[in-house]
Amino acid sequence: MDLTPLAAGLAIGLGALGPGIGLGLGVSKAMEAIGRNPEASGTLFVPYVLGLALTEAVAIYALVIGLLILFV
Amino acid sequence: MHEEEALIHVAIKGETLFHLGPIAVTNSMIGTLIATVVLASLAFWASRNNAVVPGRLQSLLEFPLDFLGGIVKAQHPTRWRAIVPPVITIFLLVLLANYVGLLPGVGTIGLHVVEDGHEATAPIIRPASADLNFTLALALVAFVLFVSWGVRANGLKGYLKETFVANPPYMTPLMTPIHIVSELSRIISLSMRLFGNVFAGEILLAVMLALTFAVIPVAFLGLEMIFGAVQALVFALLTLTYITLATAGHGGGHDEEHDTPHGQDADDVALRAGAH
Repeated sequence: MDLTPLAAGLAIGLGALGPGIGLGLGVSKAMEAIGRNPEASGTLFVPYVLGLALTEAVAIYALVIGLLILFV
Repeated sequence: MHEEEALIHVAIKGETLFHLGPIAVTNSMIGTLIATVVLASLAFWASRNNAVVPGRLQSLLEFPLDFLGGIVKAQHPTRWRAIVPPVITIFLLVLLANYVGLLPGVGTIGLHVVEDGHEATAPIIRPASADLNFTLALALVAFVLFVSWGVRANGLKGYLKETFVANPPYMTPLMTPIHIVSELSRIISLSMRLFGNVFAGEILLAVMLALTFAVIPVAFLGLEMIFGAVQALVFALLTLTYITLATAGHGGGHDEEHDTPHGQDADDVALRAGAH
C-alpha cells in the first residue's frame, strides 16, 4: 500500500494547526484594538498584514512540503 | 501515480513549450511576458496624457501609487523618493502575475508536448507566480535591494560590522551564523510564501471546478482575487520593511540608544518597525 498521500495530508493538516491558532489570535487582537479605538485602524493595517503574512508563512511551508512529498 | 485519468492535472514546475535556440521557453515565461507587457503598455498609455486633475482611469492607476507611497513616506520621511519606485514596481508586477492565473482559458488551453516519453497537454499560459523560478528571482532582487540600501545607509564597513560583529563582541561566534541565516532565510520565505499561495490557489480552483458545478467555483475566483492582491501587498511591504531594517541599523553611531536590539528575532523587529 502506498502511504504517500497520507504523508502529504498529514504534513499540511498538522502544519496548518499552529498557524490557524496563531492567525485567529492575531485577528482577534486586531479586531479588539479597532473596536476599542476605531481611529487606530489606519496605523494598525500595515503591521496587521505583515503579522498575518509571517504567521501564514508557516502553513505555506507545510503546504510546500506536502506538495514535495506528493509530486517530487 | 496510477493508471486511470487523474481528477486534475498538477505540474509543480513550468512545462516546456518549445525551444528557442538553447533556451527552453516554459509556459510560465509566457505568463510573465503577458504581465510585463500589460504593465508596460498600461504605464505608457496612462501617462501619455497626464492631467493634474486625474480622470477615471488615471485615478484608478494612481490609487496603488498613492496608497503605497503614503506607507513608504510614513516610514522614510527623508529618502522615500528613492525607495518608492522599486517597492511599487514589485507590487504591480506581482499583482499582475497573480491575476494572469485568473484569466479564462489560462489553465485549460494547452499544447501537446512529449514529456518523459509520453504525450501530455501543457497549458500555454501559466501564472508567473505559480512558478518558483519567478518568485525566487523576485526575492533575489529584493535581497539585493535591501542589502544595497543597508550599504548605502551605513557604509560598507558599517553594514559588515552590523552583520558580522555582535554587541557585546564576545557573542560574535554565536550571533554571526544566526545573522547570516536570518538574512538568507528571507529569500526563501519571500519566494516560498508567494509561490505556495498562488500555486495552492491554482490547485484550489482546479479542484473546485472538478468537484462542483455551475457558479460555485466563481466564489473561489473572488477569493483568489483578494489573495492575489494581499500577497502582492505582503511581498511589497516585506521588501519595504527589510529595507527599513537595513537602513535603520547603526545610523546614529554606537553610543546612541536605538530601538532595534541585537539578537532579537528579525521578524519581531520588522513588526515594530512597521508600526512606527
